[in-house]
Amino acid sequence: MRFNRREFIRLCVSSGAALGLSGTVIGRLEKALAAGGEGLPTVIWLNGANCTGCTVSLANRISEDAPVDVADLFLNTVNLAFHPNLMGAAGDLAVEQIRNASLGAYVLVADGGIPTAFGGYACMVWTEDGREVTALEAVRSLAPGASAILSVGTCSSFGGIPAASPNPTAVLSLSEAAGMPAIRIPGCPPHPDWVVWTLAQLLAGVDLRLDDFGRPAELYGDAVHKKCPRKGTPPAERFGVDGGCLKELGCQGPKTRADCPVRLWNNKTSWCVQANAVCIGCTEKGFPGSFLPFYKEKG
Amino acid sequence: MATLTVMDPVTRVEGHLKVEITIESSRGVQQVVDARCTGTLFRGFETILAGRDPRDATVLTPRICGVCPVSHGLASSMALEKAARVRVPGNGRLLRNLLLGSNYLQSHILHFYLLAILDYVRGPQTAPWAPAWEVDLREDSRLSAIAGHLVQAVEARRRAHEMGAVFGGRMPLAHANIPGGITAPPTEERIARFRDHLRFLLDFVENVYVPDVEALAEVYEDYRSIGTGCGNLLTYGVFEIPDAGKTRLFRPGVVEGASSVVQPVPLGSLSEQVAYSWYDDSTDRLNPVNGKTQPLYPKGDAYSWLKAPRLRDKPFEVGPLARMWVNGDYRQGISVMDRHLARAYEALKVARAMEEWLDRLKVGKPVYSDYQDPKDLAFGMGLTEAPRGALGHWVWIVSGKIQGYQIVTPTCWNASPRDSAGVPGPMEQALIGTPVEDPSRPVEALRVVHSFDPCLSCAVHVLRPGRGEGVEPWEPMPEMSLG
Repeated sequence: MRFNRREFIRLCVSSGAALGLSGTVIGRLEKALAAGGEGLPTVIWLNGANCTGCTVSLANRISEDAPVDVADLFLNTVNLAFHPNLMGAAGDLAVEQIRNASLGAYVLVADGGIPTAFGGYACMVWTEDGREVTALEAVRSLAPGASAILSVGTCSSFGGIPAASPNPTAVLSLSEAAGMPAIRIPGCPPHPDWVVWTLAQLLAGVDLRLDDFGRPAELYGDAVHKKCPRKGTPPAERFGVDGGCLKELGCQGPKTRADCPVRLWNNKTSWCVQANAVCIGCTEKGFPGSFLPFYKEKG
Repeated sequence: MATLTVMDPVTRVEGHLKVEITIESSRGVQQVVDARCTGTLFRGFETILAGRDPRDATVLTPRICGVCPVSHGLASSMALEKAARVRVPGNGRLLRNLLLGSNYLQSHILHFYLLAILDYVRGPQTAPWAPAWEVDLREDSRLSAIAGHLVQAVEARRRAHEMGAVFGGRMPLAHANIPGGITAPPTEERIARFRDHLRFLLDFVENVYVPDVEALAEVYEDYRSIGTGCGNLLTYGVFEIPDAGKTRLFRPGVVEGASSVVQPVPLGSLSEQVAYSWYDDSTDRLNPVNGKTQPLYPKGDAYSWLKAPRLRDKPFEVGPLARMWVNGDYRQGISVMDRHLARAYEALKVARAMEEWLDRLKVGKPVYSDYQDPKDLAFGMGLTEAPRGALGHWVWIVSGKIQGYQIVTPTCWNASPRDSAGVPGPMEQALIGTPVEDPSRPVEALRVVHSFDPCLSCAVHVLRPGRGEGVEPWEPMPEMSLG
């Protein structure tokens, strides 16, 4: 799926209400549209309290459908104006890219949750005008002007591991920090297809159907257990042996919604249960707190 | 007159890094005369681990870093296995090597082609690669050839993860590694799939990656005397080879002053210093075994969320160059280009060893030993090597729960701030003396920083090992013997 910036802005304007855009944003988009300008739709990608795993997972994208891989995604699908792990620019020039990009239409993506402890200074994202800017400030300044807000990964979606009890840095989800709804693509890490598919729907102006947790229902519709090829097979009694339902060893497949058993991971190589590793519930709001301890088998 | 340049964010690293450099003319050369590296993220991982089931650490700690999760998973399971006195079967240890090796390959390829190379060659003229600082990059056909390998490198990195997923289930963040061993046993089918990827990667490393790095080192030969740093090197050793005694592919050791004398790792003298870190001064100079973390922000002259780990009060550089130097595989020098060369040669050495490990897997033999949490007070230490250097996990278990957990990551060593004696960290020292042509676009400094492959995602800090009932005061650890 390929769009230029102009088509994207037009889609944003026409489906503005559906995307929940404020009148101000729509007005600005209309201005951008009138001003013309070609190119790919812009994405600003922030790193909150993250581990970089979401981006590494995205780099594992491979598909017969465009974008076929991560190089195709960046070269031909989106204008990734800011992404600290990947961008050529550093320092002031990097910060300038955000400022320029935020003048037009953009999708705001964040991986990692947003710490609020120490005045937000547990996570500083750049220096501007001689002072450090926190992730919290960055989100609050960029979210209101965004055409869409995307949480990539469980930390950005729900707080994730850094927000697990006792939440030492008072981490909020992106949506909580921004005070605005976000489309959530949880997973620790999320499957690259989930991120690319959601981005593509968004750029195409498709009205995404979200579940109660803000996840695209098409991706997170069924429990892992429901589609698991080991469903109904005799229980596995110990680790390190092929076959058997892993429920008695701690598998969270029945409580976890994701399409891993049918989509498979890493170019359809395998998935957790196929390697006899329990599903740990990583796409769920309760991850990790409600799934601990992860292992039930006692040797 | 001195110019202060702030690089924030330092991009193309994992995680959050800020670097401040002071540039001044000295002996007729405009150069870096002072440097400060700041880790700008604190998550408090170890605090989150306190009171949890010990085995949860092997799922949670890999999430410290999505670039080297396999290493955290291994350090954590090794610490728990020590505490519980569990020995992983040979097949399981071989599989761990193969999983770790897969991630070494993806990490090294990622670092060179996606993180480091844009400091030397012009990338695609589109975001996110462009814009970059307008600097006078050297023109050489060998450099354009490297730029032309970007798409191939993206594929090779991806395939390294597909290879790891054969036994890991998925990458990154596979959890087929658990205390006691690996969950996926070798089958003829898995071995064949793994071998197919490995052959492809060996070919890429040998015929593309290594020649590209050698070409870069020729064109930028002056960078073989830039970015030397402290000259002290440390490795904990990694890739245990079963049935060969304690032998590892990389043995542990330290080297001081870039010498060829390898000494045992003086673990008892390991201390984390916080005079310039945002932690309470009462927690200064503690060994990880009884370390404490009390975040304190802001604090006087402190400027980083990283602590400053030191051995015998000295800074040590960690990473592929340290591993290759200590093991006598590479001793040409310590500099920006030597780090890149050692990393590439290491990728080749690891990939070749992986072929042997794959051949030694025994279908039908166990990969997992039953693990049971220790009933009484127990302590375990897991020392291994992430792609970017020495990684240690320390755990105290009391009544089947984690009482204290401590992690010292490679980037804490390399990107550490000044220690309590005011001595700058290895990366800071490496920056000092770097010639800079344009203080507003100090690409030369960026080259020094990127040569360490910093991973700030890993920059997490210690939890106070609880002073719970029955916890013995810490005793000095024996020195590690050369394995």
